[in-house]
Amino acid sequence: MAYRRRRSSSLLSKLIKTICAIAFVIYAVWYGYSRFFTFNPKQILEESVLKEKTFASQVTEVVSPRHKIKAYLIEDKANPIISISFLFKNAGLASDDANKQGISNVVAAMLVEGSGELDSQAFKEKLENLAIGISFDASVDDFSGSLITTSENQEEAYKLLADSLTKPLFAEKDLQRIKQQAYKSFLMQKEHPNSVLSLELAKFLYGKHPYGRNPLGSIDAISRITEDDLRGFLASHLALNNLIIGAAGDISPEKLGLVLDRIFGALPQNAGINFVRNPEIDFKQGDKNINLPAAAGQNISSFAAPGVSRTDEDFYPLYIANHILGGSGLNSRLSKAAREDKGLTYGIYSYLSLADKSPLIRGGFSSTKDNYNKVVSILNEEWEKFGRKGATKQEVEDAKNYLVSSYNLRFASVANLSEILVYMQKDNLGRDFLQKRNEYVKKVSIEDVNKAARRYFSTENKISVNVGQF
Amino acid sequence: MTVIRKIYAVLLFLSLSISPANAKLFGAENFFLDNGLQVIVIPNHKAPIVKQMLWYKAGAVDEESGRGGTAHLLEHLMFRGTDKVKGSRLNDILEQNGAESNAFTSLDYTAYHQSLDISKLELAMALEADRMQNLKITPKDFELERDIVFQERKQVVENNPAAPFSESYRRLLWQEHPYGRPVSGTSEEIKSLKIEDVKKFYKDYYSPDNAVLILSGDIDTATAKVLAEKYYGKIKPRALASKKEFPKINENLRASLKMELPQINAERLVRTYIAPSYNTDKKEIYNLSVFSKYLGEGETSELYKSLVLDKKLALSVSSDYDFASRSYGRFSISALPAEGVSPEDLNKAIDEELAKAVNGLNIDKVNKTKDKMLAGLVYLQDNPFEAASIVGGMAAVGMTVDDIEKHADNIRKVSYQNVKKAANKLFSSSARIDGILSPKGEK
Repeated sequence: MAYRRRRSSSLLSKLIKTICAIAFVIYAVWYGYSRFFTFNPKQILEESVLKEKTFASQVTEVVSPRHKIKAYLIEDKANPIISISFLFKNAGLASDDANKQGISNVVAAMLVEGSGELDSQAFKEKLENLAIGISFDASVDDFSGSLITTSENQEEAYKLLADSLTKPLFAEKDLQRIKQQAYKSFLMQKEHPNSVLSLELAKFLYGKHPYGRNPLGSIDAISRITEDDLRGFLASHLALNNLIIGAAGDISPEKLGLVLDRIFGALPQNAGINFVRNPEIDFKQGDKNINLPAAAGQNISSFAAPGVSRTDEDFYPLYIANHILGGSGLNSRLSKAAREDKGLTYGIYSYLSLADKSPLIRGGFSSTKDNYNKVVSILNEEWEKFGRKGATKQEVEDAKNYLVSSYNLRFASVANLSEILVYMQKDNLGRDFLQKRNEYVKKVSIEDVNKAARRYFSTENKISVNVGQF
Repeated sequence: MTVIRKIYAVLLFLSLSISPANAKLFGAENFFLDNGLQVIVIPNHKAPIVKQMLWYKAGAVDEESGRGGTAHLLEHLMFRGTDKVKGSRLNDILEQNGAESNAFTSLDYTAYHQSLDISKLELAMALEADRMQNLKITPKDFELERDIVFQERKQVVENNPAAPFSESYRRLLWQEHPYGRPVSGTSEEIKSLKIEDVKKFYKDYYSPDNAVLILSGDIDTATAKVLAEKYYGKIKPRALASKKEFPKINENLRASLKMELPQINAERLVRTYIAPSYNTDKKEIYNLSVFSKYLGEGETSELYKSLVLDKKLALSVSSDYDFASRSYGRFSISALPAEGVSPEDLNKAIDEELAKAVNGLNIDKVNKTKDKMLAGLVYLQDNPFEAASIVGGMAAVGMTVDDIEKHADNIRKVSYQNVKKAANKLFSSSARIDGILSPKGEK
């Protein structure tokens, strides 16, 4: 028995040893294979010498001493550069008087054509010599501006910006030139099928609502604009009560407070802006095909469906849902189905459009005529399937990881920073938004995403306008 | 994955923004691995982000005749998998780790890039190094991507009603020189491409000794050295095809192209001179850069003041000088005639104003122009992503990092006599084309 026991124990120990040896060999082979013959992202990241860093830009709220003008600031002394972005809310194209459509664009152009004692040429010479950038722009909703300067030339920069906002020259010869350039822009706008399409889509969606207007305005209206009109626009549209400011770079809160008074202190207290009602869009009107007189290379499609505003509780779930369906470039479902798997188009995409009065899901693609109907079918199938079944757990995880990991990319330049600060205030995201944003993304569950998918991705509510040969 | 011809922004940016004498523009550091890979590090520590760009010194000019589109199609196939990273897994991994990833092909080079959090950089380096040596091209992927680049050409080139003009314009100017080719290839060329074409191009040109790696962002040079060695150091250089010889340009060429096209609603005018580049006449590029700025860059330039403001013959006019190319450079002037002014009359007026501008050159004007070009150089140190593109675009055509960093110093040294000489030479003895694009049906 003893012998037997010994024998069996020896057998058992041999067996164990053999199993261990086999296990070791299997492990070694697996380890060797995974280490040297497969690509293992997890391992690369674990062994990486470059580790994740905590990075949080501190946002300070500055209030100017005299006029109590507010701004958000990220102080960043990395380089001797200062960027100030600002926006006059609701002073964009949509609120232009009906008989002065396009005036906001003309004002944006004319504000850099001389001010104070400087004529247009002297003004531009000064900007170039001092490497100061001043620009203005009118979007459909707002009128915005930006200043970039080196620390060395900041005092001159603030004076130039203050003068252009409050003492613009608006010389007749410059106005004539801007009008003629506008006229050419109108002609050239009708050349490329993409811009024809975007005009047609705006008309189809919004009809006579100001969002349906040509973004350049009306050529007749522009031709009649006078210096008095421009001054009237300034007085009624650019005021302290619709002004939002973001600043970033080499400037302290105390200094910024003083600068705010200098630049913006002379603006009127209150704006008198035309109210723009919410448009009523008929999302049941289907699709509209427009034959273009000459055959372009492809048919081009632009589509739209109801979306949500930046502050809606569905915003993050829908943002993630859209990322999965059409927002993530080559990895999106639409792109995989129509491009990567079939080669039918160079690109198909969707995005959340956040115009103040009309948040939408929008998207588009272009393809040669022979492929066009196939892409339309794929788009409709994917859209419908996504609305019905939603996303997978993996897709939601991947999308959230992307949004969280890519977040710091937006801090690449001081101009980006000051701009983000403006939009944080416009959308009431809170001063601690930069710290909280990744939490907002992480908090979204697959149920939230799929609820949003069901609600917003229904083929019944998708409309499209298409140009080409049908 | 876009096709670009050149990074014009490079020049615009440099002329916009250039501080104190002898300061480095970017603070770039440069070293080579044993296998020949050039590595340029541009440290910028304000945010924990980085951009990796890998530039191959190979583009559409390296394609064999009739095989147009090969370089660009290969660029697409670089996203279709290797032996280890199969199918679209590269895109999946980069996406899951928050990277913005893309690529572009030009005449002179092809570049692959990822912007991402610094903690994920090694992943991007491992993936980029993997596809430098282990690309797998299956017949199915080849056919799919050929269809996709065909659609891309239709979308990016042919949907643009002015495209037939610009393509003919380049062909006429460059004649047999490969700068006359469209980067995309023609539609017919794309359709006729074979899998062997792209495989051969990969084998011939995608080698560490034919590439420049840029790491721009929150990384120091010592760490970059360790990582570049770790991921790229073991890749063997391939026997490269011999250095590209470009055909000589006939400097007596004077061509003009007039085209009327449907869908075009406004006349425009453009002329181009084949000009010295960094690689054909390095000394001259600083003279011509100053001259271009003086002549037609921005709304305080000579041409803008005379033709737009004083004579009101044009609504816009500008010049553009591109010296960052492997072969010749280009000097272009483009203009939009004012209402009621014929493009032919405007073209004559440009000739007169060019002569006046050259004759009017003096020390004072050249110094003022240089001051504008040298103001605000510090902006170049702001955005690490832009710095990567600017430095990469210059290094990929062979500019040394020393020359890139000393660009401002070299501008500072330019004398008015040499600017005048360079301008006179450009306008008297360079190949030239004048182009006018008009609406169809008008005179």
